[in-house]
Amino acid sequence: MRVATQSIVMAILCAYTMFAAGPFVWAAMLSLRTTSEIHLDHFALPDPMHWDKYPDAWFNSNYSIYFMNSLQVVVGAVILVTLIGAMAAHCLARYRFRLNRIIYFVLFSTIIFPPQVTIISLFQILVGYGLYNSKLGLMLVYVAIQLPLTVYILESFFARIPADLFDAARMDGYSDWAIFWRVALPVAMPAVTTTVILNFILLWNEFLFAVVLITDEANRTLPLGIQRFIGDTQEDIGMIATGLMIAIIPVIVVYAFFSEKLIQGMTAGAVK
Amino acid sequence: MAVVTLNGLTKRYDRAHPAAAEDVDLEVADGEFMVLLGPSGCGKTTTLRMIAGLESITSGTLSIDGRVVNDVPARDRDIAMVFQSYALYPHMSVRDNMAFGLRRRQMPRAEIEQRVRDAAEILGLSTLMDRKPHALSGGQRQRVALGRAIVRDPKVFLFDEPLSNLDAALRVSTRSEIAALHRRLQATMIYVTHDQVEAMTLGSRICIMNAGRIAQVGRPMDVYRMPADTFVAGFLGNPPMNLIPATVTDAPGGRELRFGPNRVEVPAARTAPLEAGSAVTLGLRPEHLAPALDASDSAALWGEVVTVEPLGAETLVRVHLPEIADPVIVRAPGESEVAIGDRIGIRLDPSAAHVFHADGHSMTAAHHQARRG
Repeated sequence: MRVATQSIVMAILCAYTMFAAGPFVWAAMLSLRTTSEIHLDHFALPDPMHWDKYPDAWFNSNYSIYFMNSLQVVVGAVILVTLIGAMAAHCLARYRFRLNRIIYFVLFSTIIFPPQVTIISLFQILVGYGLYNSKLGLMLVYVAIQLPLTVYILESFFARIPADLFDAARMDGYSDWAIFWRVALPVAMPAVTTTVILNFILLWNEFLFAVVLITDEANRTLPLGIQRFIGDTQEDIGMIATGLMIAIIPVIVVYAFFSEKLIQGMTAGAVK
Repeated sequence: MAVVTLNGLTKRYDRAHPAAAEDVDLEVADGEFMVLLGPSGCGKTTTLRMIAGLESITSGTLSIDGRVVNDVPARDRDIAMVFQSYALYPHMSVRDNMAFGLRRRQMPRAEIEQRVRDAAEILGLSTLMDRKPHALSGGQRQRVALGRAIVRDPKVFLFDEPLSNLDAALRVSTRSEIAALHRRLQATMIYVTHDQVEAMTLGSRICIMNAGRIAQVGRPMDVYRMPADTFVAGFLGNPPMNLIPATVTDAPGGRELRFGPNRVEVPAARTAPLEAGSAVTLGLRPEHLAPALDASDSAALWGEVVTVEPLGAETLVRVHLPEIADPVIVRAPGESEVAIGDRIGIRLDPSAAHVFHADGHSMTAAHHQARRG
């Protein structure tokens, strides 16, 4: 009976793994094949394996530039949104002041607007401030769009930290500023890590704001770089797949590094 | 070590609600162990938090060693506090938890280590110094919380129900440790609890609070023997004092208190200021009552047994007296053979009876004070 149950569970897990990992494996195979090979047979194994496509994409198709741009914009935005979000969440969760809940509600309610609604006005604001077509401008927009979700996740976590801990730190002689850095933030690290991973993945793949707010070749991020291989009349499927694989690697590294913390953050408070 | 003086200390969160603590006057002497005792919501923790600097003071003054500290931040009051929830920093080891407050004071590293080591030795934590709080038992966590306070060598120690999260056995041993700590440090300590056993065993004096105000302050046995009002009488003692509404009547030998068909003679002086017919409350401690099973016994009161609780060394017997709503609790010897439904007599010592005025204040205590004065 137990063996039968385990077999069913294993079968379901295998089916789901194939469903989830299938497109990834397919893209990995495509990344090692040329476009003409792909047109001959979409699902064939890479034979021979064109490893040279990776250095080709990296050096000859400007992927090194796109990659570094993405890294600068996304890492900068994630650091900023984490710091600002954590401070705001700590403040909203810890301190009683007038309009506390209203500020929280207004901040969080911006999540209901689809990006298409705000993108034109954002474009005009960035042009007005001379930030259009700049990595700094895109970074600030990323901070703004990810802030509500970050504050939402962190506020609920900070609110669960016992108030006695902050009182104890006050009795130990620490200021509110020091308490945030030395007590609140370290204790909330599982939730902070969760937001870091979520924000990193979402922003690393972000396309819509980037395509509207960046046109300069030197400032393009990875998703825009991949788009360059899609022309009006034809598209270089092989290079798109190679670009995709280059883009996916940092996400996998970040996830592998932080996945344990991510699970801790998502399940914190669920069990004693 | 320090003298802590509370003068009319009041905390009001908003106008719509009664003050959490109102007009609290209290002086805690240097080296004294003062226990703030009372039921939930009586204002004892609010008072403690005002002393700590964790709550602002609405009115009144708080002084430490004669210096008013109303507006001095918690970190500059030189006070250490032990919390009910231990409040240990979960991301720090035992050593770091204890040293955290000292590092803020920029003490030399060698001295910090020395102090932490000494406190750990006193509390038996030396082998646990590198553990995180989650790897400690409840009792060990509470000892770390005590250690964190000790290393500071503060003027005043505050304890906010530090034993309530511990199991019964651990509570007893930790209570002894706190008492030993006080003897060793001779420091001023203010301890909040709702547990009267802790209050009675630990306190040099106890301060009983009710509805935000101080009901009585005194040495534990003085308060137990001479409660100032019906609240203190009913709160202190387990089981609590029997409080029976009665009427003062004149009797040939002096004064009597009547309740239903029952009557109890009391010393005339205790009811002297009252006219016959005045309503009072008669207070009888269960240990001052004894069951009389023999029908020929000249017991003062007679009633029917409604519950019997054998506790080993003693048996608590609840007796329903005619026309009295609440049963009277009698502390009988452990081997008493009393059964539910029995009709028994209750012998009492009139000199141990307490009489409370209609407004709740003790006439017995007033009488004693007048005699002493």
